[in-house]
Amino acid sequence: MNDPTTFLQAMRYLGAGLAVIGVAGAGAGIGIVVGGAVQAMARNPDFTPTIQTNMILGIAFAEAVAIYALAVALIILFV
Amino acid sequence: MTTHTHAEKPRRIGFWRWVWVGLMILGGVMAFNVGGIWGGIWKPVSPAVALPAEPAWPGVYILAPGVLSFLPEGIPFTNTMFSVLLASLILFGIAFFVVQPFVRRGQEAPSGFYQVIEVAVEFFWNTAQSAAGKWARSIFPFTMTILLYVLTVNLFKLIPIHETIGYTKLAHGNVKGYHTVVWNGIHLLDGSNPGQAEAAAAESAEAESGEHAEEAYWNKPEPCPNCEIVPTFRGAATDLNFTASLALITMVMVQVFGVRALGLDYFSKFINLKTIISKPFFGVMDFIVGILELISEFAKILSFSLRLFGVIFAGTLLLAILGTLTVVFIPGFLVGLEFFVGIIQAYVFSTLALTFMSQATVAHHGDEHSEAH
Repeated sequence: MNDPTTFLQAMRYLGAGLAVIGVAGAGAGIGIVVGGAVQAMARNPDFTPTIQTNMILGIAFAEAVAIYALAVALIILFV
Repeated sequence: MTTHTHAEKPRRIGFWRWVWVGLMILGGVMAFNVGGIWGGIWKPVSPAVALPAEPAWPGVYILAPGVLSFLPEGIPFTNTMFSVLLASLILFGIAFFVVQPFVRRGQEAPSGFYQVIEVAVEFFWNTAQSAAGKWARSIFPFTMTILLYVLTVNLFKLIPIHETIGYTKLAHGNVKGYHTVVWNGIHLLDGSNPGQAEAAAAESAEAESGEHAEEAYWNKPEPCPNCEIVPTFRGAATDLNFTASLALITMVMVQVFGVRALGLDYFSKFINLKTIISKPFFGVMDFIVGILELISEFAKILSFSLRLFGVIFAGTLLLAILGTLTVVFIPGFLVGLEFFVGIIQAYVFSTLALTFMSQATVAHHGDEHSEAH
């Protein structure tokens, strides 16, 4: 307990773990995006290419937030 | 002819199957270090991760130290720059030795490697045309360049020389070091995980070397007690400088296309004073929205650069760590996943650039409020 280096390392791991909680929201977001896209593709399959492109864009936007969290965690751990 | 190939094919697969099985068993034996072959140098070790890029080789500089007074340490030639250079050489090679000869030869049916490139270009050209309309011809070359560049860099990263070959230098501070063995003048890791070397030995080595604690160890004949490995090859997208510079160039080009399409009127998207006199309330709202647009333009730089960097760096980390936990079977699938992720990220980066550029060429109508009321 009186070891500041170990304590700092432990706090780093804790902080990285807490930072990655943000990924949960992106998971829900990507689920909603893909769910909507699959429904749309099932209703009118002719628009599949357009819907797919927009779906990937939407996923990328939702994923960006998760990756901010991941980048914060990585920076906490390795910098 | 057809019967010949039909007779040939099953036999060839049957032969290579046994070669693959043999290689798998050999890999497993070496990975689990049965019998301590060569002191266990084939055993995977857990990685010591470094976030910033490191010099590709000691003493190689872009700008030598001491030339400029405000840069006393110079600009080292980093391993990610080396990777970018190699990827660029690959792209130049494709352009000059695959595409150009084919175009010069005139009308032929596309074949071989050229066909792959033509399929990719045509696919993205269709995307660009549907997104950008009449501006597709000027936007397409830029986004296609980004696509090919990021794709090459991401796929080049998957070659196994990456993050494994490099030079050793003494670890210092809280960096965990490896213990090496020397074989024919080459330093090899002996299969022990970082930080397992006795702390005392590391301390004494650092005390002996005194002020030169950072000196390179790769050319010394004796084994290193506590060294860190600086890889010569490292994926370019694991460096934030690479992704941030791409994002900056992209967002600057977005403004350039906006000005080309709309003239100086483009900037009224950010500082919107058109309606502030005629309709005071909604005019102020439009002004605030314009400021938010300006902020989101900078947020796009951040999101562009962090997305590519985060995904690729996390993938590298995943491969390295899971490669030490489960040695033989799982990493193969993970490399496949990284292959997929690299392609998707290149596509996402270029598609987002395309979308932002084509949005910038479209005139911003500030009269939605008047239509609503």
